[in-house]
Amino acid sequence: MATRPTVTERDSLGTAADLSRTCAALRRTLLAARNQDGGWGYAPGRHSRIEPTCWAELALGHSQGRPPDVDAIRAWKRQDDWLLDVPGAPPNIAFNALAALMFLQERSTVPLAQPLISRLIQAKGLRYWQSPALGQDNSIQAWPWVDGTASWVEPTAWCLLVLKKVRSQSPRPEAAERIRVGEQFLFDRVCHDGGWNYGNPEVYGQKLWPYVPTTAMALLAMQDHRSHPVVMQSLRQLQNDVASERSVVAVALTIVCLRPYGVATAALEQTAIELSAEADPGNLLGTAMMLYALTDTREHAAFRF
Amino acid sequence: MSGDTARAGLSRRDFVTAVSLSLLAGGCGRRFDPRRFHVPQSSVVGLFPASSYAVDFADLIFRGFQELGIALTGRRVFLKPNMVEYELDTVINTHPHVVSGAAIACRRAGASEVVVGEGPGHRRDMEYLLASTGLNDQLREQRIRFVDLNHDDVAVVPLQSWFTGLQELALPVTLLDSDFVISLPKLKTHHWAGMTCSMKNLFGTVPGAVYGWPKNPLHVHGISNSILDLTATIRPHFAIVDAVIAMEGDGPIMGRPRPLGFVAMGSDLVAVDATCARVIGLDPDKIEYLQPAAEFLGVVDASRIEHRGESPDRYGTRFDVVPALEHLRLSR
Repeated sequence: MATRPTVTERDSLGTAADLSRTCAALRRTLLAARNQDGGWGYAPGRHSRIEPTCWAELALGHSQGRPPDVDAIRAWKRQDDWLLDVPGAPPNIAFNALAALMFLQERSTVPLAQPLISRLIQAKGLRYWQSPALGQDNSIQAWPWVDGTASWVEPTAWCLLVLKKVRSQSPRPEAAERIRVGEQFLFDRVCHDGGWNYGNPEVYGQKLWPYVPTTAMALLAMQDHRSHPVVMQSLRQLQNDVASERSVVAVALTIVCLRPYGVATAALEQTAIELSAEADPGNLLGTAMMLYALTDTREHAAFRF
Repeated sequence: MSGDTARAGLSRRDFVTAVSLSLLAGGCGRRFDPRRFHVPQSSVVGLFPASSYAVDFADLIFRGFQELGIALTGRRVFLKPNMVEYELDTVINTHPHVVSGAAIACRRAGASEVVVGEGPGHRRDMEYLLASTGLNDQLREQRIRFVDLNHDDVAVVPLQSWFTGLQELALPVTLLDSDFVISLPKLKTHHWAGMTCSMKNLFGTVPGAVYGWPKNPLHVHGISNSILDLTATIRPHFAIVDAVIAMEGDGPIMGRPRPLGFVAMGSDLVAVDATCARVIGLDPDKIEYLQPAAEFLGVVDASRIEHRGESPDRYGTRFDVVPALEHLRLSR
């Protein structure tokens, strides 16, 4: 006769079943929203874009234990080696970095990443005059969203991830200086109590607050500095701030971020399951991020190096 | 608003493209083509009292429409509130009651469709902003469709003026495909632009998923220049300004709440913004983007602005501004 499960065992069994159901539902949502060109828009029925397509492929691949299908991104319209998210608009550097990360997932597709990586190494934000209104060093040229603009946290985080991943797989000497500058930028733009927002920690002496998603991205890029005081403080800030989050994107990115730091994510995964049940099916980026977060527990995941 | 008749039968996207093609040959070197714009001899701006966010904004705004002769029969209306950030006890964003009230008023005025859309310039996470600001509850309760402009499909359209030096810009298709655009800002001081109202509010139409967070190309090419090009290109039909509790000091985020107690409305965004500037003690002739706006987009001259509802004198005050903006003060 079977003994009754303990509370812990029952919770664990319940969570596993919930997790399986949730992931299956997220997969169904993504597969149903796939466009004829093989990509995904930010919402069902919308034009395919680089960012949701990369996240969807990463999520579907990892959830099925296979590499991401890169066909849609491989066939993407290009200009000077950049993937063009919107023809007629400037290439988006952050999302090109995300595409490079996807190509780096599988040995056979690594060559597809090389032209993008070369462009990412060359790309840099504008050097700005030192504004007394901003408590930051405007001379640091990390990565902009689009060419001809200043450096910001999110594109810098994604580009750093790419270059650090490449460094661990096949070192490129020219990337070392860009990594140094990118790290200098993130250390400069950290908010007063830790964490990052879009990239201005202070304006006119007023301290601006960090955001959960950008903090998670920046911490992913700085996972090789986990004992640095700024990183440790930001990690605490993230764990504190995410406790009150009810946003799919914020919770998913935090789970993805905390894993390489060895922080337990079980409670957040439970939150993620609850959020997924009531999530807007029109938010395909959030859907893909959540599926990735709930399934990618492998050591060599897309955002680890 | 000027140009409405010419647009009949065309979507906003068709209109913008058609007009621009005719401008390309002659537009080089000029900031705008005066043949394409018409500044009225006079404009009407309504200031309607709203002592708190407990008032019936649907009723107030609908009465404003009637007072100002706005009929929306069959129109697909796009409402663009201002949502930037969220922090408890701040007044950064257009109040959700004003947004839902405006949507209901549009339906009462005959709109066939009302869509609310915004693309915050700092936060990507719209789900967070909608929930934290309380707007999500209002949208659900009133069954109002919301579009995240940062992640909408886009079309690259030629700009209708060339203050930035840019020739074209990607803009959200939901905005371009509507046929009556209402700018729905919060009245705030702005530490770079001087003031943010119905014209500066249009920064939120520029898609972050194309240009990033913040929308830095708009800063690189000049905030005032970008305000002018966006207003000239989008050509909003109407403005409804949340000045119930405005923001003074280090706006648009870190400033202090300042109760003013009114909603401003009008078809001429330049006249609406000029009136709001005077109310808060700023000289519209000194605000960088309003000076050139008077040449081709609308009326700044107070003697050519007719007021309905309350007189601006009833609300006239002096807002705190950051020291760098003291030169914008109105000489009283």
